[in-house]
Amino acid sequence: MLRATGLSKTHAGPHGAPVTVLHGVDLEVKGGEFVAVVGASGSGKSTLLNLLGLLEPASAGEVWLGEERVSHLGRRAQARVRGASIGYVFQSFLLLSGLTALDNVLLAARYVGRDRTLAQREALALLERMGVAHRKDHYPAQLSGGEQQRVAYCRAVLNRPTLVLADEPTGNLDDEHARVILAELRASTAERGAAVVLVTHRPEAQAGADRVLRLRDGRLV
Amino acid sequence: MVRLREFVPRGYVFTVVGIAVGVAGLVSLGAMAERITRFIEGGDRFVLGQISVAGEGMGMGAGFTAGGLLSAAKIREIAAVPGVSGVQAQVMMPLNTSTSNFMTLTQELVMGMDLSVPIPNRNYRELPVASGRPLRLDDRRAAVLGSDFAASRHLRAGASVSLGGQDFAVVGILGKTFTAPDRFALVPIEDARDLWLRRDPLLVQVFGAGNLRRGDLNTGAAVGWRDGEDPDALARRIQSTVAGLNVTIPGELSRLLRQSTAFFSALLFGIGALGLLIGGLSLANTVTAAVFERIRDFGIKRALGATDMALLREVLGEGLRVSLWGGAAGVLLAWSIGTAVDARVLRDGEQLFLFSPRLLTFALVFSLALGTLAAGYATLRILRLSPAEAIRRGS
Repeated sequence: MLRATGLSKTHAGPHGAPVTVLHGVDLEVKGGEFVAVVGASGSGKSTLLNLLGLLEPASAGEVWLGEERVSHLGRRAQARVRGASIGYVFQSFLLLSGLTALDNVLLAARYVGRDRTLAQREALALLERMGVAHRKDHYPAQLSGGEQQRVAYCRAVLNRPTLVLADEPTGNLDDEHARVILAELRASTAERGAAVVLVTHRPEAQAGADRVLRLRDGRLV
Repeated sequence: MVRLREFVPRGYVFTVVGIAVGVAGLVSLGAMAERITRFIEGGDRFVLGQISVAGEGMGMGAGFTAGGLLSAAKIREIAAVPGVSGVQAQVMMPLNTSTSNFMTLTQELVMGMDLSVPIPNRNYRELPVASGRPLRLDDRRAAVLGSDFAASRHLRAGASVSLGGQDFAVVGILGKTFTAPDRFALVPIEDARDLWLRRDPLLVQVFGAGNLRRGDLNTGAAVGWRDGEDPDALARRIQSTVAGLNVTIPGELSRLLRQSTAFFSALLFGIGALGLLIGGLSLANTVTAAVFERIRDFGIKRALGATDMALLREVLGEGLRVSLWGGAAGVLLAWSIGTAVDARVLRDGEQLFLFSPRLLTFALVFSLALGTLAAGYATLRILRLSPAEAIRRGS
């Protein structure tokens, strides 16, 4: 489903010298597989997730999604892939402060041209399932951290992506809310056959993963 | 409030206020420039609409033509020159003889008009009466006052006014012309001749001893031309045909007027440029800053599949709406301040601001165009970043 070969990322350091944060990573994740990525701070976990999710360009290497080499597509085509095939859950939720909870979820449908009525019905069902439907008209600042992450999760899976990327999604949550989010991520592999790549420090998340990958100094070990 | 939110994107209130302040600065400076421009243009229109003549010599009159007395015989000779459509005898004199000549641009004048002849000025066929009525042929001791003249003395139609120690009934008030007639007191020419005789002892002696008649007491005359005539050529023809005249050539007078107001024109240009610079920079800076503040939102939207074009359309639409609201609020703010200031200075017969339709239209179009351009520029700058970088920078 997801395949990365020779994935590297280098950027200019403070004095112009190149700094390589990811060294030729090879990775394959099957549909329905739940993979956890662990490693110390600065080991390149978030960078790996950004490259897999087409959120920034790789310095070298390729990313394949199914039969499509998505890393080498044009900007417009990559935008289409991001919107239709990849869902993101971030540690800091990244909800838009000017939109209500429901509108934040529906934002995912807007850019892929989905029918708004249908998308709204699904968004409400997702909010209901996550226990935050009663908060649909609230703005992010009016929600707790746990509620914001549930809303963010709804947004990530609204378009039924084949790949869900979660970067420390439980980092700012208490145990109870973390448990809900992890269970839902797990469910998306089981119910929809999506591939999930999770960057985490939580032992229970690693324990529930199909595979655990360890990154050290930008290399898989 | 709910309806307002449909039009003003959430989080843009301070942007709208920022734009409003910039546009208000632009409109205020522009309104002052418009006021001065209208004064200069009005004078130019007036001198280009007639040929002004006076008798030969230095004379003692005031107004547009300097010269000696213009006798009735001379007026008849002028009227007989081919191409002349009409000649209106006039008596123009300063209201206040001790100060008026020092401030020729703003002097208050008493203007006596021969009402038996239609006004020959092609650009002012009749002066606009805002209240009351115009002067009639059989009026005596009646006056129609310019708007500033009346406002500075709190006079309305039906009141009376003292001119040169004589009481006149105010029968009408002119509408605002933003040029010289705003400071005129128009009276029948016979009344003006009376005032002149009372105020100038030397003239009384000459008038009493010589062969002059009342009809010869004219400081000048306005001459009109027939359709198809070249006014400058006709003015030269009058000069060569009728001896003993000071004739102004409309084209030359217009050029002289423009030369004498060159300082004001330069000042206007400076005010306009300053207004555009201050207003434009303020507006562009506010919109650009507002878009850059949303850099994180752009990263999130791109992560959710927004294309460059989709984001550009979205931001341009928002920029357009925000600029429209900001521009409209700025125009309203400037208009409120200008009106309040004018309400105060109008008591002295002054007006500092002129909010003309062309100025307001320009201000709105300017704010819309610049706001949209600034929003587009900022968006294109942000789109250079990867979604991850945009999210990082905005967090």
